[in-house]
Amino acid sequence: MSTDTGSGRSLSLGSPMRWIEDLSDAQFAYLLLAPGLIVFGVVAFWPLFRTFTMSLHADVLYGPERLGAFVGLQNYVELLTGQRNAALPRPFLDLSEPLTSAVTVTIIFTVVSVFFETLLGFGQALVLDQDFTGRRWARVAIILPWAVPIVIQGMIFYLLFQPTVGFLVEPLHQLGLISATPQASSFDSLLIVIVADVWKTSAFMALIILAGLQSIDRSLYDVADVSGASKFERFRTITLPLVLPSVLVAMLFRTIGAMRVYGLIDTVSSCSTVPSLSCLVVQSFSASRYASAATVAFVTAGLIAIVVSVYIIKFADVDGGGGF
Amino acid sequence: MPRADHGSTGSPTASRRRVLRTVGATGAAGIGLAGCVGRGETGPRTVEVAANTDVKDNLDEIQSKLYEAGLSQDIELDVIAGSASTGARKQQYNRWLSANLETPSLFMMDSGWTIPFIVRDQVANISELRPKLAKDVQEGVFDTFVQSLESRNGDLYGIPLFPTTGSMLYRKDLVKEAGYAPDEEGWATSPLSWKKFSEVTKKTREKTDTQYGYTFQADAYEGLSCCDFKEFTATWGGSYFGARENLFGPVNDRPVTVDSEPVVKATRMVRTFIDGDASNALDSVTGDISPRAVLQWSEEPSRKPFSNGNAVMHRNWPYAVAINGAEDVFGEELGLMPIPYGVKEEDAKFDGYGGSMSSLGGWHICLNPNSPNQEMALEIMEAMTDEDFQLFLFEKLGWLPPRPELFESDRAKEVPVMGRYLKTLKQTVENSVPRPVTVAWPQQSTKIAQKANASFGGEASPKQNMKTLQQQLERIEEASARETEGGQ
Repeated sequence: MSTDTGSGRSLSLGSPMRWIEDLSDAQFAYLLLAPGLIVFGVVAFWPLFRTFTMSLHADVLYGPERLGAFVGLQNYVELLTGQRNAALPRPFLDLSEPLTSAVTVTIIFTVVSVFFETLLGFGQALVLDQDFTGRRWARVAIILPWAVPIVIQGMIFYLLFQPTVGFLVEPLHQLGLISATPQASSFDSLLIVIVADVWKTSAFMALIILAGLQSIDRSLYDVADVSGASKFERFRTITLPLVLPSVLVAMLFRTIGAMRVYGLIDTVSSCSTVPSLSCLVVQSFSASRYASAATVAFVTAGLIAIVVSVYIIKFADVDGGGGF
Repeated sequence: MPRADHGSTGSPTASRRRVLRTVGATGAAGIGLAGCVGRGETGPRTVEVAANTDVKDNLDEIQSKLYEAGLSQDIELDVIAGSASTGARKQQYNRWLSANLETPSLFMMDSGWTIPFIVRDQVANISELRPKLAKDVQEGVFDTFVQSLESRNGDLYGIPLFPTTGSMLYRKDLVKEAGYAPDEEGWATSPLSWKKFSEVTKKTREKTDTQYGYTFQADAYEGLSCCDFKEFTATWGGSYFGARENLFGPVNDRPVTVDSEPVVKATRMVRTFIDGDASNALDSVTGDISPRAVLQWSEEPSRKPFSNGNAVMHRNWPYAVAINGAEDVFGEELGLMPIPYGVKEEDAKFDGYGGSMSSLGGWHICLNPNSPNQEMALEIMEAMTDEDFQLFLFEKLGWLPPRPELFESDRAKEVPVMGRYLKTLKQTVENSVPRPVTVAWPQQSTKIAQKANASFGGEASPKQNMKTLQQQLERIEEASARETEGGQ
């Protein structure tokens, strides 16, 4: 009865109001979300769109203009075929020198760091999922690196690997793991940057995976116990499949972060020694090659999009299309 | 019940309307608030200067000295202290000037990157605005220094604040202990050859049991390409771009000469300093005088071992002289000499090089062309060229005066520590080379630093590296030439 009264009242209102009243719940929800979505859309897509339009122009090095004539996709063609390498601080992609070309360095960094972060993060999460005295302190200890500001962490690792300052160079050099001047070598520096990243972000992985572990229904383990499953079987048949979606989400976030790594490289090493894709963007930008910078930035965004879609497809498989 | 699907949540109409009204009101309030904040206004007679913390910390004193130098008493300075890193400051200025901001009116700019702003018309032409001031500056200031403030047609785009140059710091007590007589031989003003320098270093290091011989900066960074490596090559009579007149261009219309004999020789020399047994060692100098760690040292990491007493020789900027010459560090035992030479000036392959050469750095003050306070800002610039003011900056902040004759003044000589080294410092400024800044330089600099660092460390031979570098630089020249630019 009350609904009748309601619709009767709405007749006396103006038509936009009546239109709102007539919406279904789902439609009304979208209506309320619309302003937020528009803002997000503008914030997220406008820069991407601007970057793309900038990348369609020529670089201009003289005069007050920042962008030159419209050249279509020429920047992309030159970048991908290697003709633009001369104007970049390090080659975009040069398979003959994988340790100093941006795409390969970025991929190596991403794959190695995300692999070890997942492994360590998973291990940490399994430990934290147990009940033991002092668990709270163990949590603090594990999460602490995540709280260290990137510049300070960068300084720590930079100094650790300065010969005559850091204590690590000499023993690691004696062991034959790194050279006497690690920050002058691209291989050693990449290694150091990866170690620094793993040190910092394993905690992030641990947190997300821990959340997944804690949402597992404990009674499943009771069932496993009753059916006499070994510890490994418990892990393989219950823990792993149920926690996998969380692991994938954590890996997805870390992969996106790793593919646009810049700050850590800039503080621990240098963009010249360990050139990531973002390094190329920043360096071309400061050399006033705005169009080149935009091109590399857009290609980087594209690469990230490809990797993300791989994860999303994989995630759909695991989760039966649940989305996140 | 046509709308039974709303279930038991009560009347949806009332809550929808209330939600919309609340959201609307909050949004309006938010926008209103946003309009009120963040509009700090400076007074009508205030000129904003983008400078550094030194200036900000001493603003009151600087301002009163400017009044003494003739600035109108009603003009006030307001200082924005930029980042300590010169690269970060360049990027910040770039963003501000590209956005055509009206403030700050004045910018303190590194002589290493003023020219890119000049070619983009992002700083005002002083020769047009104040022809007399420009002429005075161009006549009174070190030629080498004022060049980094001029466009190719000779117009001046700012006023020079203070130059800095590379020079060789050394431990007088140690070399004397090893049997040398630096004062009698006049090292302070007559440069040593690299041959003698390396001998002295090796012998002193061995006799006095010092950890390092000669320390310098060879990290793969701007400082290597602009400065240390350029010094090495210039003292051998070599250069990146042929004769000296090509320093500032024209891009792609000048020779690239990094694979020429003097440059390769300089590279081999440094390789020898680090590893005397290297297959490409240069026989004319003594090897093994520098630690391999120089390959990842910039200024500060390289200065620390010297200040701690662990090195005999050290190449650095005047700031390091002030630190190491202080009474509680080395005091009078700190010696200063010009950079050693490889070949004499008359034997140099390229015009304008050879003999002792120092790289030139330093800072200028430039004017924002969009500033509404241009007249006041020009008045400040004028006061800043006053001799007493420049001497005051030397006393207060250790900034070397940009005019040669001020080095001879009694007032400068009385300045503690730095006053002792004025003769050497003046000579290094006179024998200095500015860095070859053009629009192509940022990219070229990176490549030069990469290849020089690789050669010093023994990655491929110096000759091979310089050959690759030659091709890379030529390609950058082509890609940066004026005529290949779209739309320009």
